[in-house]
Amino acid sequence: MVEQLIANLRGFIPEVSLAVTFCVALVAGLIVKKHQQEFISVLALVGTLIAGVFVLIYADQSQTLFSGMIVADPFATYFKVVITLCSIIIILFSQYSSEVQQTVKRMGEYYALLVAMTLGMFLMVGATNLLMMVLAIELTSLTSYILSGYTKEATDSSEASLKYIIYGALSTGLMLYGISILFGLTGATDMFGVNQALAAGPVNAIALLIASILIIAGFGYKISAVPFHFWTPDVYEGAPVTITAFLSVASKAAGFAVMIRFFKVCFIDSNVVGLPAGMWASLQGFEWNNLVAILAVLTMTLGNLVAVWQDNMKRLLAYSSIAHAGYMLMGVVVLSDKGVAAVLIYFAVYLFMNLGAFYCVMLVANKLGSEHIDSYKGLGHRAPLLSTAMVVFFISLAGLPPTAGFIGKLYLFAALLDAQWVWLAVIGALNSVVSLYYYVRVVRNMFLRDPEGSAEPVALPVAQVVILLALVIPTLVLGLYFGPLVDFANASVVMFGLP
Amino acid sequence: MLENYVPIFLMIAAGFGFGLVMMKVNEWLGPKSPNAEKLSTYESGMEPVRSARERFSVKYYMVAMLFIIFDIEVVFLYPWAVSFKELGMAGFITMTVFITILLVGFYYIWRKGALEWD
Repeated sequence: MVEQLIANLRGFIPEVSLAVTFCVALVAGLIVKKHQQEFISVLALVGTLIAGVFVLIYADQSQTLFSGMIVADPFATYFKVVITLCSIIIILFSQYSSEVQQTVKRMGEYYALLVAMTLGMFLMVGATNLLMMVLAIELTSLTSYILSGYTKEATDSSEASLKYIIYGALSTGLMLYGISILFGLTGATDMFGVNQALAAGPVNAIALLIASILIIAGFGYKISAVPFHFWTPDVYEGAPVTITAFLSVASKAAGFAVMIRFFKVCFIDSNVVGLPAGMWASLQGFEWNNLVAILAVLTMTLGNLVAVWQDNMKRLLAYSSIAHAGYMLMGVVVLSDKGVAAVLIYFAVYLFMNLGAFYCVMLVANKLGSEHIDSYKGLGHRAPLLSTAMVVFFISLAGLPPTAGFIGKLYLFAALLDAQWVWLAVIGALNSVVSLYYYVRVVRNMFLRDPEGSAEPVALPVAQVVILLALVIPTLVLGLYFGPLVDFANASVVMFGLP
Repeated sequence: MLENYVPIFLMIAAGFGFGLVMMKVNEWLGPKSPNAEKLSTYESGMEPVRSARERFSVKYYMVAMLFIIFDIEVVFLYPWAVSFKELGMAGFITMTVFITILLVGFYYIWRKGALEWD
């Protein structure tokens, strides 16, 4: 019994170190004096780094833990690396965010909750039991509700938190209802058990469809796919920028991970032979990927079209992140390892470019006190480095070479064309064109318009420049030298228990 | 599959039956001297029917929330205590971890002043 526990814990060390960091940071926040609160951010940083190191040390394992509740496999490892990187960058951001720094008294809670959210996402990417999946999603959601309302003094922050919690409660309810129907159909909460039960004989097709739609509602809320996206713009606008950035990357990554695992493990038909290598088939002719295809089209089209009308930078990036969720959903549709690998590659790329864009918005908001698109007028002359970096991020988000965003889109479209989903690829390409318009609109304001009001240069401290460069350089380098990333992603599509 | 749940249904039926029997026995055997105050619904010392447009103290809910957390702790402690020998070292370690996490939370709410009424 004890040996079994210890053997399980060995695959669980990253999560354990995050849990310990959470407790330590929470207690440290109470003990440490007010003027030494930066100490807690160092604590959280070290704890997350340790978790990341453990993820890399145990990267090659593929085993099931705690009686099939969770697995540690290459697929989970890839997402854990992305999430760890994201949370390290966010902790660094937080030290320079004026919104967060104003609330010295509650700093311990901020970092503790950030670590707890990371822990929730780690559990999400590994969950193979439906109940564990819901629990992990809840851990991530509950912490993000609190964090989006972290700046209590700002009313829009509280509004964001309230909207988020109401929407989240509804989606979780729908998802749980879907899971209960699925349990009724198959008699299993374990994903592999669900798969076996579905493989054993046909079930009521309509009930299965309803269950899938309800469960997709839960995932769709996490990855802010249309029509479950209504919370996104308001929450992204109201929450502190650091949290918005975290939600837009890490939370979305974890949502995709759990979604891909759920659909692949539950509905894969292992008995179909004669498919091309790396492709798989869905059980009982249940075409869940058509549902996801509809979702993808709606998500990217609405995200891009609405983003065109936005004047607040955070709202613009919110709609842009909805659109990106739509692009990535295309990779889920194709039922192939190539598609999943494309999503993995896209996330690594998206991590740098989207965090970079949010970081620029945060720095501008710190200096100018505004997130309005008009306040960016003439910024190219006042802060050349910042503006140039922003141009790089936006070009990358639009998916133009020679940036990383191009590589991400390239692999997505390649996977789509490979699986004969031409119409979806065409819609995706058209959407990229639309997205170029609103990204360039900001660039135009920065470089081709004269500043309104003050025209003084905006200086950045060295540390902030270093973080900015740490995000710009990967965005450019990954656009030219992406071999290792692609290899890592291709090796990471392997899931435990599947061929 | 459904027959697995028979004991649970029996338990629910027994629970309802016990409650009903006790209420009825009380009604038959107990002395009765009704007045308006006694006949009103009891709800934690509050008046049962009031205006909805009213502010209420958040402390009340804080205490309720904390109660649930520590109530659940006790719910887990009892089965552990009953099967302490069978679970052995593994059970002990697991429970120690569980209680340590709860203690961290306890320390947090204590320092934050959630346990003080004023």
